[in-house]
Amino acid sequence: MAETTFMGVPREKIDWSPRIDYTKCNYCMECVKFCPHDVYEIREGEEKKLIVKNPNNCVVFCRACGKTCGVDALSFPNKNETTKMIKELRKEMEGNE
Amino acid sequence: MSKSYALLPCNGLDKCAGCISREVAIKVCENSDSEIICPVLYRVADARYNKIAQEKPLIVIDGCNTRCASRLASEKSLKIAQKINISDEAKANNIELHNSLKLNDEDFKLVNIIADNLLKEEEKVISSLDTDFPEKFEYEIYKKDKFIFRVPKEGFYFNENDCYVYVVGNRARIGVTDYVQQSLSDIMFFTPPAVGSEIEQFGEAGTIESGKAVFEVVSPVSGTVVAVNEKLLNSPELINENPYEKGWIEEIELSDFESDKELLYDFNKYFEIMKRKVDEFHV
Repeated sequence: MAETTFMGVPREKIDWSPRIDYTKCNYCMECVKFCPHDVYEIREGEEKKLIVKNPNNCVVFCRACGKTCGVDALSFPNKNETTKMIKELRKEMEGNE
Repeated sequence: MSKSYALLPCNGLDKCAGCISREVAIKVCENSDSEIICPVLYRVADARYNKIAQEKPLIVIDGCNTRCASRLASEKSLKIAQKINISDEAKANNIELHNSLKLNDEDFKLVNIIADNLLKEEEKVISSLDTDFPEKFEYEIYKKDKFIFRVPKEGFYFNENDCYVYVVGNRARIGVTDYVQQSLSDIMFFTPPAVGSEIEQFGEAGTIESGKAVFEVVSPVSGTVVAVNEKLLNSPELINENPYEKGWIEEIELSDFESDKELLYDFNKYFEIMKRKVDEFHV
């Protein structure tokens, strides 16, 4: 089961997940093997044999799958900007209460 | 004085970075009293290298994040003195690696930079400060099969990435929780952040590594790194023994803990989260 909130903020409002650079990816699938959160999906027979299926399952600030990638095809959003955004969202939510 | 290392390059023949690893090993070998361990022969007939691997400080040279050389060292239970990742070094030196397996002038420039650094006398500016951090804590325990997950009951805050902070005055110790060390199993290498560097909350505060994976320490707080636990450089297994006590990672001078705290969990909340993670993911 995926977390639905992160520090009180609905997970889908936080843009944090791996981006695949398809010009680099060699479909070794090490990232898929590594990630226990069902973020990726393998699509046999399609041109893009690997996609980010469930971006909101990705643990916010985790970049561990990127460290398994031999061809450096995975990137993530900027951490500082993400933190800022989470803080802003929390403020907004407090204001709405 | 000539240096004397055991050098374990990945020697990956299918990638530029792997080919560079081999050249670095050769260059260091030619200019010091070091010896190269051939990863191919070592895998099938380790008797040839057991002695040097045990007697000399081991430098592992990985081409890329597949970490073939590191994994081999882990398989053979070797103690790693230093690690080089060619792809990371290339980035740090603004050299773009290409697809060709024949090395060009740029590649050899990188070979020289890395080898020269290894041959230079190392100057370590790492210090541990004597501040008033307790040596023992009380724990709540969660068990799953043969695995025991401890979480300290008082004074700690945690982030969702299983890293903790323990604050004394305006200084804090950070580290990883039992969940991390149990998931990684035997930790064989610790890459510290630079002392003096500034870290934002959730920024990378070094990495720890086992045969299974590389774990990025996600800093629960913002501030300046004032000390790292230098004992971990020679004995990273201290993290497995107790990550909250002798296995702490580094000390940070806090810049805005009151604000950081809003995005952290206390014991009660983290213990719940950790139990759920253990039940869902720990096999």
